[in-house]
Amino acid sequence: MLRYVLTRFAIWIPSVLVVMLAVYALAFYGAGDPIKLIFLRAPGDVAYNPQRIEAIRESAGLNKPFIVQFGLYIWNLLHGQFGNSLTSGRSVWAMVSAAAPVSFQLAICSIILTAVVAIPLGMIAALNQNSRIDYAILGSALFLWAIPAYVAGPLLMVGLIVLLPGASVPYGWGGILDVRILLPLLVLSFQPIALIVRQTRAAVIEVLSEDFVRTARAKGVPEIMVALRHILRPVLTPVVTQLGLIMITIVNGAIFVELVFGLPGLGRLTVQALINSDYPVILAITLIGSFLVMVSNLLVDVLYPLLDPRANDSRRSR
Amino acid sequence: MSDQSDKTNISRRNALKLGLAAGVGLTVFGMNARIVMADEGQVLKVAHPAFDQDWSPLRGGGRTFRWNSIWWASPMYFDSQGNIKPYVFTSWESADNTVWTFKIDPKAVFSDGSKITSADVKGSWEVASMPNTKSQRADQVLSKVKGYAEISAGSGNELTGVATPDEGTVVVTLGAADPIFFMRLANHIAPITKASQSRGSDGEEIIDWYKPDSKPVFSGPFKLTSIDIDAGKLTFEPNENFFGPKPKLARIEVTSIEDNVSATSLIKSGEFNAHTELITSTIIQDLGPEFSAGPLIPTSQHFWFNISRAPMDDPKVRQALIMAVDRDGLFKASYPDGPHKKADQILNSVPGAENSGFEPYPYDPEAAKKLLAESTYGGPERLPKILFVGISGPAIQAAAQFIAEQWRQNLGITAVDMKPQQDSYAGPDQNSVQIFRDDVGTRVPDAVSYLAGSIASTSSNAQNKLGGYKNDKVDSALAEATTKAADDPQRIALAQEAQKAFREDWAFIPWYSQAMSRWATKEVKGLEKNLDWQVVEPWNISIG
Repeated sequence: MLRYVLTRFAIWIPSVLVVMLAVYALAFYGAGDPIKLIFLRAPGDVAYNPQRIEAIRESAGLNKPFIVQFGLYIWNLLHGQFGNSLTSGRSVWAMVSAAAPVSFQLAICSIILTAVVAIPLGMIAALNQNSRIDYAILGSALFLWAIPAYVAGPLLMVGLIVLLPGASVPYGWGGILDVRILLPLLVLSFQPIALIVRQTRAAVIEVLSEDFVRTARAKGVPEIMVALRHILRPVLTPVVTQLGLIMITIVNGAIFVELVFGLPGLGRLTVQALINSDYPVILAITLIGSFLVMVSNLLVDVLYPLLDPRANDSRRSR
Repeated sequence: MSDQSDKTNISRRNALKLGLAAGVGLTVFGMNARIVMADEGQVLKVAHPAFDQDWSPLRGGGRTFRWNSIWWASPMYFDSQGNIKPYVFTSWESADNTVWTFKIDPKAVFSDGSKITSADVKGSWEVASMPNTKSQRADQVLSKVKGYAEISAGSGNELTGVATPDEGTVVVTLGAADPIFFMRLANHIAPITKASQSRGSDGEEIIDWYKPDSKPVFSGPFKLTSIDIDAGKLTFEPNENFFGPKPKLARIEVTSIEDNVSATSLIKSGEFNAHTELITSTIIQDLGPEFSAGPLIPTSQHFWFNISRAPMDDPKVRQALIMAVDRDGLFKASYPDGPHKKADQILNSVPGAENSGFEPYPYDPEAAKKLLAESTYGGPERLPKILFVGISGPAIQAAAQFIAEQWRQNLGITAVDMKPQQDSYAGPDQNSVQIFRDDVGTRVPDAVSYLAGSIASTSSNAQNKLGGYKNDKVDSALAEATTKAADDPQRIALAQEAQKAFREDWAFIPWYSQAMSRWATKEVKGLEKNLDWQVVEPWNISIG
């Protein structure tokens, strides 16, 4: 297993370097000079002169050729330095390490909520295939799937104020035990729940026709035991894979939720960095994102044999 | 026995109901508890529209700048009527408009009780001038001071033109006469800080020097008592040693709220009572007319033509495009309920803006059609696609759509495209953009300064958005005007002349003059702003 993990890590490094190069090139050659943007952000007439802009750019090392800047960035990265934000001068590491825990906590809570709600619902729908219960669950899942976060967030927020006069707007971050996490968590979990419900249902329907399920039922095993012992376990393999992918999406894509509910996470930081063309911050977030992809995939791979012993056997036989 | 069992045992269903009720109860109670806390005392709760990572008062611009007057004192300040008032400086004089002498209020002290000295003034201006400080407007205030050019370009670290003969006197020598230099200082662009705290031994600004961890001292009516940049929260409390009037508020809390729907909900629910800049198409309906009311400031929004790009390089096309737009309708389409005012010219809210002699562009679809036919393009079918940039907010979109529709109806032009980006626009047609929506303005009540930043060939607006616009009549009139005293009628007359000369080039569609909205609920009293976006007298703010 250790060898497997190390191999995966070795493959990850060049992939990340290519991604970083692409992102760096986009930031370097793309729109938005970060230094000019500092000036353009202010309303009204801004009297900046080219000499001053050039002096600022020189002091930030932005006048060096592309490849030199990229090389320096990688060199600093190898020495554990993420550099400083071009707009605020703050340490990028400090900024990212303040934001990442919020996104991770939110993502983990969302994954737990999704698993707890969606897997049982998917199973119930499958076990009652083509019944009213099935239609109700599937219809609700489709409804949730169709609502984007940037619509659901403001709607729920405004709805809460209208329906509960005197209630405060759930804005800000107070940790996972704070009541304000409820709405963002719900909004963030809508689409994952819809996805997992549908996937679980489809997987369960497939497993229901397997011989071992028929055998278990023929032996008189109670239906609940059949569902939990014989159906759930093989179904979990593809569902966990999907949950792993969803985790990445949630951490990287919670932009609207973080903006609407004022959560100081990576999504919010990403938007700010993109607006400012603050590429040391953009690169650090990209690095975290790709690292997360690798770790999630790795975790899913490690979980496979635990959920389905056949996966372990097939790996060994290779 | 069975009775007892019935009383003590709760069914699963009842337990669930009880749990749900308790959950809802606790949630609602918890929420209400927050509201009670928020209503205690005189607390101004401000929503800030961005997640700013840098609150140094030395940036001279940007969103964070709008709250500078809360915690920093300026040399002088303009009130909401445009009158100049003493602050740290009590007097200013110059015999030749080149050497200026300023006297510091002997009572002026920092929050630790130490005197604000001329050395602090000099040091504050110097650090604001250093390129690494990235001050967005130090040029506007200090560019004519001797030594500024060297510091600003990174080849010096001292303003040689600033002398400090004693701790209460600042003598400034300019490279060229400037009759309105005293006005340029009357703002928070280069606020007065304790130089030994904000500036390192290398002359550069010390990062994070203003944060409470660095134990800074402040010169304004409030002091920063806590800051959590990652969460976007700042708290200010009264500066007990402030040398001006005693502040009425017990606390000011600033919270970053990027989403306008959230901000509007929070203000509506009473959890917040002010905003740094809230512009939505339904703001009047949502928060009432008082919320965004305010006096007009010398800033205006227009659609600028890049006269070096086809088809705008043909004056007849420009004239046709302008005359085909009903500008009354344009204004109604974008700000039907205010708070802004329709503009006919560039100048507003400065001496000389009234009766300037600038004849508003007429709305004449027939004449416009004729002009387009007479142009080198001969009609709408041979015109290249017209591309707008800076079409970012709902009101702006409404205005741009109105213009495009007028062109379609009156001239038969159908190929019009709009992009939200402005200077950073990088689409495939970036070299074809002909119209830039943008504001122009000035920070001093002066017509010459206003036009120098808008239509003089040296201005960024003329060079970039107007495509290298240059009119010798405009330049010479403004150059001559800058030598006249602020109250000299000739100064104003020359500015008006420059504006009239610009009119004949047909290079913009006037849109609106901007009101400086208070962005505060009606319960907030004494929150008046000036042309520099600053709360004029923060010590006067009260709630209720």
